[in-house]
Amino acid sequence: MTAAIDLLSTPTRRRRRRPSATVIFAFAVLAVAAFAVVFGGVLYPDAMRQDILSGLLPAGSPGHPLGTDELGRDVWAMTVAGAASALIGPVCVAVGSMILGIVLGTHAGYERGWLDVVISRWTDLLLALPVLLAAIVVSGVFGGGYWVTVVLLILLFSPSDIRIVRAGVLEQSARPYIEAARMLSLSRWRVMFRHILPNVSTLVLTNVMLNVAFALVAFSSLSFLGVGVPPGTPDWGRQLTDNRAIMFDNPAAVIVPAVLIILVASAVNLVGDWAGQRLSQVGKAL
Amino acid sequence: MSGVEIAGLTVIGHDGPMVKPIDAAIAPGRTLAIIGESGSGKTLTAKSLVGLLPRGFRAEGTVRIGERTLDLDAAQPAWRAVRGGTVTLLLQDPFTSLSPVHRCGDQIGWTLDAAAGRRLPRAERDRMVAERLAEVKLPEHVARSFPHQLSGGMRQRVAIAAALAADPQLIIADEPTTALDASNQAEILDLLRTVQRARSLCVILISHDLGMVRGRTDDVLVMRHGDVVERGATATVLADPQHPYTRALIEADPTMTISPQPAAVSAPRDEASPLLRATGVDKHFGDRQVLDGVALDIAPGQIAGVVGESGSGKSTFARCIAGLESEDAGSIVFDGVPLAPGRRSRTPEQMQIVFQDPYSSLNPMMSIGAILREALRVAQRPATEVAELLETVGLPAEFARKRPAELSGGQRQRVAIARALAPRPRLLICDESVSALDVSVQAQILALLMRLRDELGIAILFISHDLAVVRMLADTVTVLWNGRVVETGTCAQVLTEPRHEYTALLVAAANRENTAPTLDSPKKD
Repeated sequence: MTAAIDLLSTPTRRRRRRPSATVIFAFAVLAVAAFAVVFGGVLYPDAMRQDILSGLLPAGSPGHPLGTDELGRDVWAMTVAGAASALIGPVCVAVGSMILGIVLGTHAGYERGWLDVVISRWTDLLLALPVLLAAIVVSGVFGGGYWVTVVLLILLFSPSDIRIVRAGVLEQSARPYIEAARMLSLSRWRVMFRHILPNVSTLVLTNVMLNVAFALVAFSSLSFLGVGVPPGTPDWGRQLTDNRAIMFDNPAAVIVPAVLIILVASAVNLVGDWAGQRLSQVGKAL
Repeated sequence: MSGVEIAGLTVIGHDGPMVKPIDAAIAPGRTLAIIGESGSGKTLTAKSLVGLLPRGFRAEGTVRIGERTLDLDAAQPAWRAVRGGTVTLLLQDPFTSLSPVHRCGDQIGWTLDAAAGRRLPRAERDRMVAERLAEVKLPEHVARSFPHQLSGGMRQRVAIAAALAADPQLIIADEPTTALDASNQAEILDLLRTVQRARSLCVILISHDLGMVRGRTDDVLVMRHGDVVERGATATVLADPQHPYTRALIEADPTMTISPQPAAVSAPRDEASPLLRATGVDKHFGDRQVLDGVALDIAPGQIAGVVGESGSGKSTFARCIAGLESEDAGSIVFDGVPLAPGRRSRTPEQMQIVFQDPYSSLNPMMSIGAILREALRVAQRPATEVAELLETVGLPAEFARKRPAELSGGQRQRVAIARALAPRPRLLICDESVSALDVSVQAQILALLMRLRDELGIAILFISHDLAVVRMLADTVTVLWNGRVVETGTCAQVLTEPRHEYTALLVAAANRENTAPTLDSPKKD
């Protein structure tokens, strides 16, 4: 029979794919953004210092490459220092809502029964709320603030995560390898988090990345509407609101943060897609 | 000039030739078999003859069918004139090869229209469709049926009727019966044979199943990794194989060897204390009753076969015993202890299960070592025994570092068996565990199961649709039909004197594959 084994074995080959130029560019954008998040405050501790005497300067003025706003604040310094508040919140929202999604979605999908019904109806309820409207109303009632907004957005972002994780878990639960785990009388937690979760990790990662981009835009919108970031804090969304009036005097004050929001959101999406594809290759032949 | 001549047919893929030059000739009314396992290039060869190669593949060589020489590099519009009228392909799976939203009569009619090159008048078309249906022994009303209203065997007949509609000279049948139940397989093949003789057609029958080929084909090509390793008259090749690969295939095929009845190792068969006794097991899915009073005894160290076609309830029964499904009524007693329905009343040391599909029964994100260590931990065995487990199932210890995706189907199934053995269960449930494997791999797994029974004294509940396989392995056979036990007894008893007509049908189907050559002795020209 050993002869037969040799005769019948077929060689398989593995192929590695290098990331495309677009993905490399997206990584570079994120690296620069991450640098600004970490060191922005250190580099420009007094980014919000006003200089009413000099007032509004256009881009290209000496000492102010991107000019200043109405209060004489340097646009470049504010933009670099604003990266932290513009990006930390969205990342917290995406990760926080996914943690909720994983915990509730996995239980709903694996345990089924009444727990699934309760969790699913709860997500239906949350999904029916318009995100921005709800955020504005709650911020208005509770006085707003950065971290209130983060918690609120986590809650409002969680239903789609719960649903996506639940669907993935539901699909995996019927697979024979899960039944084999049940045959070994493994604990529910072990089956859910050791066996099922790694197999839905592609979904999880891709969705976290997507949500970072959505939350980035949502945060900027809220700041623009004046409910997210309190005045006096450097923030990209805030810059858009404050500098609306001087759009024609120093266009850079509006265009730069706006372009950065778009650029970072797109980069996160691209990297998310790429990582999702890479991850889904793990465990697959060829 | 009639018949088919193939000279130097090569299929070239992305990484060079996938099929090395093939020469063959088929006289009218004769059948050429192409035998090989998955990946041998047999299906690529078939597809190259009908211009359906996947993107990136191309074919070279000369192929003459009747008066017509095929241009293998032709564009699709040119192929459309060839397909149907000159050469036609009969596909494996009758469940997906027919359009679900069109009536069968229309689907046969399309081929007729295409062959005529115009839309036939309705009356003429209906008449021709009825003729074709009669030819494949289907009643006329099938023309108005949708595919989902027909059984698998009937659907494959419709597919044959559609393939014959435009009077082709060559039919290529690519594993035409693999998707069908045992009793249907023989009928479809015999039908194909009858039609072929009546019309003097050339047929290329592609298969991995030697039992099917024997007696139903005149010549055979054995392919492996794109090479023809052996060729000749079917009877000669099967009786006296020259190439070691052909010999390995023949040895591996359960229908080709005279059943080596397990040398009645019959562990002390104490009728009073079976390891497992199931009685009156009932199970409903909604309104449908899948199990109706099913009973089964398994003695310690015994291999009990359960045979039945898809839908007979055999898998549900296995799952009820394993506790993966909860029975509605009945009792399951393991070693004297009654087990409540469901998994909670059972321990890993009582029984383990090996599933059909080796591709989904291992967690793709875990290494083989991690999978086995987890199973060992359950039984409080040290993680160092992974190598020992791998050795038991005939795999080298280095496999612990691999992931399931790096393994072949047979190797994965060995790992699944190793995992099942880790808690040292007393009963191993094999739910169609070999049916997704190639024949030679199937034989290796069967040999492994027999060895495990002999060495470990483990009892095995072996579920299969394939009587030939069960006959090789099992001590007792229970035949399930529509959720009911229609026959039970020792293997020899049931096979030699079946009492129920359904069993007789199954036995006849399994035997026909063996005895056909005596009814029909082909000679080489």
